[in-house]
Amino acid sequence: MLRLRAVFEKSGRAKYISHLDLNRCMLRVFRRSKLPVWYTEGFNPHPYYSFALALSLGFESSCEIMDFNINDDEMTLEEIRDRLNAVMPEGMRIISVAEQVKKITAIAKAEYSFSLVSEDVTGVYDAVKGILDESEILIEKKTKKGVKTVDIRPDLELVSCEITENSVDMAIRLPAGTQTNFNPTLFMEALKNYCNIPFEARKIRRTGILCENNEKFS
Amino acid sequence: MNLKEKIEKHLLEVQKPSRYIGGEVGSVIKDKSKVDVRFAFCFPDTYDIGMSHIGMKILYSLTNERENYWCERCFAPGTDFEEIMRKNDIPLYALESLDPIKEFDFIGFTMQYELSYTTVLNMLDLAGIPIFAKDRTDELTQIVVAGGPCVCNPEPLADFFDIFILGEGEEVNLELMDLYLDMKRQGASRLDFLRRAARIEGIYVPQFYEFSYKSDGTIEKMTVRENAPATVKKRIIKDFDKVYYPENFVVPFTEIVHDRVSVEVLRGCIRGCRFCQAGFIYRPFREKKPDTIYNETKCLCENTGYDEVSLASLSTSDHSEIDGMLTKLIDYTAGERINLSLPSLRVDNFSESLLEKIKKVRKSGLTFAAEGGTQRLRDVINKNVSEEEIMNTCRIAFQGGYSSVKLYFMMGLPTETDDDIIGIAELAQRILDLFYSIEDRPKGRSPQISVSCATFVPKPFTPFQFEPQDTREEIERKQKLLLDSVKSKKIRVSYHDPDVSQLEAVLAKGDRRLCSVIYSAWKKGCKFDSWSEHFKFGTWLEAFEECGVDPAFYANRRLAFDEILPWDHLDYLVSKEFFIRENKTAHKSVTTPNCRLRCSGCGVNKAVGRECFCYD
Repeated sequence: MLRLRAVFEKSGRAKYISHLDLNRCMLRVFRRSKLPVWYTEGFNPHPYYSFALALSLGFESSCEIMDFNINDDEMTLEEIRDRLNAVMPEGMRIISVAEQVKKITAIAKAEYSFSLVSEDVTGVYDAVKGILDESEILIEKKTKKGVKTVDIRPDLELVSCEITENSVDMAIRLPAGTQTNFNPTLFMEALKNYCNIPFEARKIRRTGILCENNEKFS
Repeated sequence: MNLKEKIEKHLLEVQKPSRYIGGEVGSVIKDKSKVDVRFAFCFPDTYDIGMSHIGMKILYSLTNERENYWCERCFAPGTDFEEIMRKNDIPLYALESLDPIKEFDFIGFTMQYELSYTTVLNMLDLAGIPIFAKDRTDELTQIVVAGGPCVCNPEPLADFFDIFILGEGEEVNLELMDLYLDMKRQGASRLDFLRRAARIEGIYVPQFYEFSYKSDGTIEKMTVRENAPATVKKRIIKDFDKVYYPENFVVPFTEIVHDRVSVEVLRGCIRGCRFCQAGFIYRPFREKKPDTIYNETKCLCENTGYDEVSLASLSTSDHSEIDGMLTKLIDYTAGERINLSLPSLRVDNFSESLLEKIKKVRKSGLTFAAEGGTQRLRDVINKNVSEEEIMNTCRIAFQGGYSSVKLYFMMGLPTETDDDIIGIAELAQRILDLFYSIEDRPKGRSPQISVSCATFVPKPFTPFQFEPQDTREEIERKQKLLLDSVKSKKIRVSYHDPDVSQLEAVLAKGDRRLCSVIYSAWKKGCKFDSWSEHFKFGTWLEAFEECGVDPAFYANRRLAFDEILPWDHLDYLVSKEFFIRENKTAHKSVTTPNCRLRCSGCGVNKAVGRECFCYD
């Protein structure tokens, strides 16, 4: 049995597929591909596959991760990739298939890029600089136990921030994985409260899933 | 900003956005510069409901097989998205191209249920297409058509449609599109096209027919204009085994009501239950060969990736080769870990071997449509099921490990008395007693008998088309009587809203005077009438009042046998004489055998020029 990890893209119209629907969608992808995927052996056998991180509805991604097993040791990784891609919906594409290296628990952060579109780009740009200079960025985070105030500043890493004609294009890193998960919309909300300048976040895209030392998770 | 950008700007503000953007596996995208005729297949309900409709899947694929025709899907948006569309000038669009449907050559609605009529108007309005046919352009474009079971009496919709397509669409839809293309190339006008279209069998152009009424409200006469045929005959497919069936379905991302492969195994019904419209309007009975069903199942499962398949028909166990067919299918589905579900099984031919086969494929409850609480009433409605058969089936089911049974009944049936209502409760009680009397019943599980009681709605093209519906007061009294008659907590009773049933009857049996009522109800905010949270009966009553139309005239009046009915000029191949004969037989509590046992002379054999079955 091959224990595999696929990296896939979810973009265009596929960004409207919710996480729940993605599960169903992949089940059908596997069935259409006729790959000998490994089925669970419980009371209700179903093909085994799992996603490393959930992706918010409306986000694009070039680095989603899905683990699955194949009951065939002879098949090449390229063949598996190609057979899946032949039956993928529009906007979804397997970039690579490889053997699993690290444990899922090694995931520590995720990187996101997005554009903040505004009439007042300089204002937004200055606000981004300003908020990142603060010692703490407090936001209200809804959890299962209720609303709690958290400081996202210590875990937020700025990767890039550029000003264009009508937007501020940014990339940031936030904690992700089994311990803490911060959604980039938390940062945008904090920024909105901080500057009171109207802006719209567009083209939100997950661009990397990383380990603690910023090494790419694989 | 183009329409796609406009849609995407707001898409994340609505529930289940994947319903509004297309891109599903199996959806057909064409280069519109190479397409001659564009057809928007509209379902007057939300995506979740409409995507489950098998007729749309068939006609979608069939049309798209033609390289120069492009059929796209269109559904009613949920109220949240509708608000956004109206606020931001997003016209109703089709899911493949995301182009506004007002630019299409054909806007085709499937009319599956009377309570979707206001939603049709709402969709036309959202699309920016004039709601009344008379207000549309003289040019040859934007032809608004409808098909489906409700168009067997399309008169309440007559003012809104250019064309109704009667019967099965697999051939006639393409004939209509061919004619359109031909005439478009000649530069013909809309009226020219409608004149010619009316000569195609199965095509009904309502504006060529006029009605006058007597002082008592009944129809005086119908006048035909423009040399249109005096009666319009529905279309049927002669060789059903060879009829087109899609090799692929559009596979939605979001969960829909029937999220599975459906394979049609037979069309028509041999039973002739006297209340059932489907049992008559889909005649003659035709079935597919087991090999065809097997091939279609396998092909669709492979192409869609679904792990569930359901056999579609009015009565699957009436297939002449049911055992062989199921053996073959189960062999395949079990090997591929596919669930096979078999709705529409009948009580009377439910054999032990059939149960054994079903047990392999599903473990949920069993549902039986007994329809009437007493044998007398079941004879009246020609539900040829005896209590012995019901009991026998339940015994087999209980012994086979089932502990819950669901029973369907109707109330308000012709000749019904209080004894028939009490009979429903008593029958449920006897089934419950039977469960406890069985030695090898499932242990450790409490039995559950669910009684679901609908209200009888008289429908066109049935022997009961002449019958009045019970008034709301009478139905409510009977519902209370039923509840009071049930003595066990293990029998659960549910029933329908009588207001919904009355409106259904009015719209099913209505004439052209209903058009203004439907328009007025929609104007006042009615839409999605089949959704209990949207149903506004008070508003409907206001609309009736305003238009001077009495709903009781349509729902609660007995029609005379010699009255001109709003649907008399439409020929569904079963004769009115037969319906009258069957109605009289019903009132004598006499049953009519099913078509396989003996031909009862409904007329369909004459219309298609062959006997439905070989009688030795």
